[in-house]
Amino acid sequence: MHTSTLVNPVITLWIAASLTFLFYFIAGRNAKLAPAGIQNLAEMIIGFFKDEVASMLGENSSKWLPFILALFTFILIGNLLGLIPGLGAPTSNINVTAGLAIVIFLLTHFMGIMEHGLIKYLRSFIPEGIPLPIVFFLIPIELVSQLARPFSLAVRLFANMFAGHTVAITLITLIFFFKSYLIVPFPIIGNLAVSLFEIFAALIQAYIFTFLATLYISSAIEGEH
Amino acid sequence: MENALGAGLAIGLAALGTGLGIGILAAKAMEGIARQPEQAGVIRTSMIIAIAFVEAIALYALVVSLIMVSK
Repeated sequence: MHTSTLVNPVITLWIAASLTFLFYFIAGRNAKLAPAGIQNLAEMIIGFFKDEVASMLGENSSKWLPFILALFTFILIGNLLGLIPGLGAPTSNINVTAGLAIVIFLLTHFMGIMEHGLIKYLRSFIPEGIPLPIVFFLIPIELVSQLARPFSLAVRLFANMFAGHTVAITLITLIFFFKSYLIVPFPIIGNLAVSLFEIFAALIQAYIFTFLATLYISSAIEGEH
Repeated sequence: MENALGAGLAIGLAALGTGLGIGILAAKAMEGIARQPEQAGVIRTSMIIAIAFVEAIALYALVVSLIMVSK
């Protein structure tokens, strides 16, 4: 599939990663007891994720909080870069979101095996006291549902970001279809509305990706299936 | 020609299901808010997150239909 960005996604990825680092670096450099400015914003984000997301991981929550926050901020900044003309969101490229989802997939099962051991982790997918013939049906079902998770994570983020870009391009292309100055106000107002919705979608999708990643990791660690 | 027809059907049918889903979600959330107005903030937040899940299904179909058109 063709890319919808002018700048190479690798460059925008590095911009997003540097901005993520700079945001928390500047916020924590001169930390004061009474927060103000960027420190206030960072503390608000950290407090929200500590209470709402990391608490799913139980006693391990403070260990996982930096990873969760880095994931959220990186995806959010990546999504918001798409609103800057000429840059384009790295997350509107399927390879970037697939890479993120594969990292989450590998991490989930790695943590599950680390926590329970390989045999006990594999056994935790099958509930206790089930007759043997049904187990042979359960294995493919469980396999598909595990493999569908990274796929849906990747496609959800990619499709949301890609759809915003596509709608914006389609609205601009209307000018070339109609070849008239009278149509110009419509794409301008339409693009303004789409861009406002994109800010909202960027926040929601970054939150949902982080939320689901944490949910998968916590279910692997606690062994609830 | 067949590609365009299939792409239109793909996104159209997905939009039908998604519209129904979001409609039911919003209606139930409004019932909840009407029943307990003091919980409006919590209900609105979880409604928006649930809508984003439903909306993603239509966007899967959008990607499929764009692939169908571009072939």
